[in-house]
Amino acid sequence: MADSQLIIDHLSKSYATRTGSVQVIADLTFDVKAGEVVSIVGPSGIGKTTLLKCPTGLQPMTSGSAKINGREIEGPPPEMALVFQEYTRSLMPWLNVEKNVRLPLRHMHLPKDEAEQRIHSALDSVGMHNASEKYPWQLSGGMQQRVAIARALAFRPDVLIMDEPFASVDAQTRFELEDLCLQIRDSLGMTIVIVTHDIDEAVYLSNRVVVLGQKPAIVTSILDIDLPVPRDQITTRSRADFAQTRTSILELIKNGKQ
Amino acid sequence: MKSHLTTPSRTATLAYGAIGIILLLIAWQWGSTKVVSKSALPSIPDVVSALRELVVQGSFWIGVALTLVIALAGWAIAAVAGVALGIAIGIFAPVQAATRILLEFLRPIPAIVILPLAMMVFGPTTKMGIFLVIFGVMLPITAQTAAGVESVDPVMRNTARSFGMSSREILWRVILPGASPYIGTAMRVAAPVTLIMAVVAGMLGGAPGIGNALSVAQTVGRSDTLFAYVLVLGCMGMATQAASVSIERRLLHWHSSYRGEQS
Repeated sequence: MADSQLIIDHLSKSYATRTGSVQVIADLTFDVKAGEVVSIVGPSGIGKTTLLKCPTGLQPMTSGSAKINGREIEGPPPEMALVFQEYTRSLMPWLNVEKNVRLPLRHMHLPKDEAEQRIHSALDSVGMHNASEKYPWQLSGGMQQRVAIARALAFRPDVLIMDEPFASVDAQTRFELEDLCLQIRDSLGMTIVIVTHDIDEAVYLSNRVVVLGQKPAIVTSILDIDLPVPRDQITTRSRADFAQTRTSILELIKNGKQ
Repeated sequence: MKSHLTTPSRTATLAYGAIGIILLLIAWQWGSTKVVSKSALPSIPDVVSALRELVVQGSFWIGVALTLVIALAGWAIAAVAGVALGIAIGIFAPVQAATRILLEFLRPIPAIVILPLAMMVFGPTTKMGIFLVIFGVMLPITAQTAAGVESVDPVMRNTARSFGMSSREILWRVILPGASPYIGTAMRVAAPVTLIMAVVAGMLGGAPGIGNALSVAQTVGRSDTLFAYVLVLGCMGMATQAASVSIERRLLHWHSSYRGEQS
């Protein structure tokens, strides 16, 4: 796993409750290579979101380890940026689009030109350069999520982590944002990890899909997705092997519940 | 703008407001001439001429200025201290635990009961007035700020943390603005209370300002002057309220309660 950018190694997570400790994640091991799109899927309520809190450094893991670029993750790593499902709650309503994108850059004390350039090109790559003066609440859900993605891009991470990023937008917007994701990976060479409950989305976007199962969660299987690139919402999704892959993942999830 | 059947237009609102004022003035004039003695309820012309006498006196304006200084200084100090304490309570669990019972205990006690103590410590001074104002408004500001801090969405905090922002930066750039709608409301509610406390400090405690002038007018039996001061006070209250609403509107233009106004 020498070329792996992100390595999750025997990660487990327990929470202390009144009645004792509850284990949410038993044992997760997988890796993500540079430039890959990896999706994490599993039955609902399995702790997919909890899973992301550990390798992103937001919560300590109970045992195991997570490494980015060979370095142990202890706090939020600077090579990582997050996009949350709840764009209305992750964008600051008191800041306009441009200032929201600038917020994580402030503490980096970049030269003025570079900060401007990063913000400009990030908004450009999500198609929001005309909305920089707008406030988040003046935008549609899909546009707000684009701003959240732009904010992550301006941070220039190696790995973009997305937690159910398109679960709260309509189907049409979802397709657009999925393609935006692939375009970002291709043009910026970014590694992307997506947690999703949408199997079709996972298959469409990914190089590999990590399937979680059981309670507490373990990795039940990791599938390579060999669909041709570039992918296309119509032709890719209508391929026979797309349907086969989707079916086998659904079966894996169904079996993993027991 | 859609107008609702039961909501009168802007001109109608103004007209109704004028009618209300005129009715009150008629009742006042009628009461002063027909019902009670003139010494208890002076007539409108008497009060107007007393007001005319007042506004040409330097001491009147000094009194107005002192009252405003007491109210505003107390307000400012209470705001800074109250917001700081509220944030500490909202962020640090030990601070919350340490202050919870104390705040619950102090909350139902009217600020006025501290007056005898304040008079003993400060005497009839501006300082005493400021202290009384602070005592009157700081607790609600503290409590509202703490509630505001708790209202800040954990997703927002996690977002800031995930981008490597320091606790200090998160406090200034996320928690404080996130709590600001609560703080704004507390400040607006506190505005009239600061004036009330400044006047009470003067009337009952002898601190300089309009409150003191009011009690002097009462002692010498000048009810017309007393009423003139009451009118002045009412206007000061309206001005303070309008100023605080306008500041709040400007600072919180992004908040859902003000959004409609700016687009």
